[in-house]
Amino acid sequence: MAKVLIPTPLRQFAGKSDSVQADGSTVGEVLSSLTSQFPDLRKQLFNDEGKMRSFVNVYLNDEDIRYLQKDSTPVGSGDTVSIVPSIAGGAVAEKGVAEQTGHAAAPPVSLSKDEILRYSRHLIMPEVGMEGQMKLKNAKILLVGTGGLGAPLGLYLSAAGIGRIGLVDFDVVDFTNLQRQVIHGTKDVGRKKLDSAAESMHDINPNVEIDLYDLALTSENALEICAKYDIIIDGTDNFPTRYLVNDACVLLKKPNVYGSIFRFEGQASVFAFPGGPCYRCLYPEPPPPGLVPSCAEGGVLGILPGLIGIVQATEAVKLILGNGEPLVGRLLLYDALAMRFRELKLRRNPECPVCGDHPTITQLIDYQQFCGVNIQDEPPAAGSKESEIEPQEVKHKLEHGDRFLLLDVREPHEYLICNIPGAKLIPLGELPKRVNELDTAIDIVVHCKSGMRSAKACDFLRQAGFKKVRNMRGGILAWSDKVDPSVPKY
Amino acid sequence: MIKIDPHAWDTMVAHAEAKYPNECCGAMLGSIGIGRIDDGQKLVSQAVPIENAYAGAQGARYELRPEDLLEADRRARAAGLDLIGIFHSHPDCDAYFSKTDLENSCPWYSFVVLSVKGGKFDHAASFLPNPDQTAAEKEELIWPKS
Repeated sequence: MAKVLIPTPLRQFAGKSDSVQADGSTVGEVLSSLTSQFPDLRKQLFNDEGKMRSFVNVYLNDEDIRYLQKDSTPVGSGDTVSIVPSIAGGAVAEKGVAEQTGHAAAPPVSLSKDEILRYSRHLIMPEVGMEGQMKLKNAKILLVGTGGLGAPLGLYLSAAGIGRIGLVDFDVVDFTNLQRQVIHGTKDVGRKKLDSAAESMHDINPNVEIDLYDLALTSENALEICAKYDIIIDGTDNFPTRYLVNDACVLLKKPNVYGSIFRFEGQASVFAFPGGPCYRCLYPEPPPPGLVPSCAEGGVLGILPGLIGIVQATEAVKLILGNGEPLVGRLLLYDALAMRFRELKLRRNPECPVCGDHPTITQLIDYQQFCGVNIQDEPPAAGSKESEIEPQEVKHKLEHGDRFLLLDVREPHEYLICNIPGAKLIPLGELPKRVNELDTAIDIVVHCKSGMRSAKACDFLRQAGFKKVRNMRGGILAWSDKVDPSVPKY
Repeated sequence: MIKIDPHAWDTMVAHAEAKYPNECCGAMLGSIGIGRIDDGQKLVSQAVPIENAYAGAQGARYELRPEDLLEADRRARAAGLDLIGIFHSHPDCDAYFSKTDLENSCPWYSFVVLSVKGGKFDHAASFLPNPDQTAAEKEELIWPKS
């Protein structure tokens, strides 16, 4: 009986063990018992005639058995048998004689001294250690969006020592971002989000290499950009990009770490992971445009993206380390008001058009069209010149004492932020039951925050028989820009 | 695919340049990915220079003592790493897998060849010899700044 050390490449033939106990009183017997335990190993060590391959050396402890008693060398239970290849070679062209001056150099380290200090709280955990930290250093992550989710992702992934992070964003920092996008500061308002985010990340960890993509991810560029990274993290807030990132990840076979946030609730999952579901398995079709409000429309608790972004960062790091149970096939639901986490089981849909057994989507499509967003680009859905009115003209009518009703269809808490004096408040959702408060005979001008909800209100009123209805273009935001700058924007 | 960490790579290049015009050799330690995104991917995190034990002129020959390889393997195991490859240099010669290389190889490891021209590193390639030592498949090699 002896312990046989298995070289790394042969472990696949030896039950994945790095050492195996094998019976026998001589080296020959030990090897024969080893190869009868693991027949596939035999082919690696012996040729078809059963002779040991020319490059294989067998060592008993520190001695080559050729210099002992070869196969008959006796072994005891404390002995270790090693399999060591002999290796040599050289370029063909002969060179002049040179003196042999070889000596072993000092062992190199895989992380610099500074890095070892920086990551020491990782390195002392066996689940990370040097090996895990090297994996993090060699990992490449693409962050789509440097907003609410991108902020904690960028900060923590840089701090954790991810080697290369790509950032995709074309936006500029504005004051409404600062309530949650903690990677940007007040001094950054007006700067490109990319520059501001990269500066914060480099400040935290100068070892991170950052690639900046000052563009919108599109069907034309997504595959090329995503292909350069190991993991794609979706930190966007719109359906076309969400489907685009999902499909690109499925096509490229790269994990898509998904997160989304709305008001007080968030979701996270890992999609496009081998065997697991993708975003389309969960939501085969996008919701009709306008049904699900964006954070700009519906609001979001500033802290919420911090929590969901960190769930995404945690999942990305776990995928890189190969540790733990990934959030695959599970949709994590978080409710900040109830402070409750729930989990939904997700399954890959064999009928899924992109990751199913017979996919019908084999290349990227037009996601704006798929999500019906094109029609929505111009705020007034039923937009024609006659059905709209500019804020300046509304001001003129008010000053001239024209007989008309200014109808504000926002929510009461928005009305408290700012309002146009004289406007009547009926929130869009209450309009159907309160429509009798309105007079079909007089002109009505409808406004909201930016013109979307008021366009819907105009449609509703026209269908209800109101003929003289117009939508104030650009809402109260445009009013602040064009008429009264003292009205705060929100 | 085999990927070499910058520190390991610096050691390999420095060793190859220091031994020029002779061939150098050494072992590469690291890990073979069993993670979910890096399955089968070899990552070299340490390079161990080993003495060229060839008894004749070393301008175009190298030989590794099995004892030195055994020592490298022990060092790898002690550090929680694996011995995953062998490197050697070709002074003033391209990084290809020569007949001599092939006939004296083994199929278990990645063989990285560094071409050193005029004392400076020029390019590199990695090879996977077959069990009969009759052919070697080229393996994708990623080194820093490649």
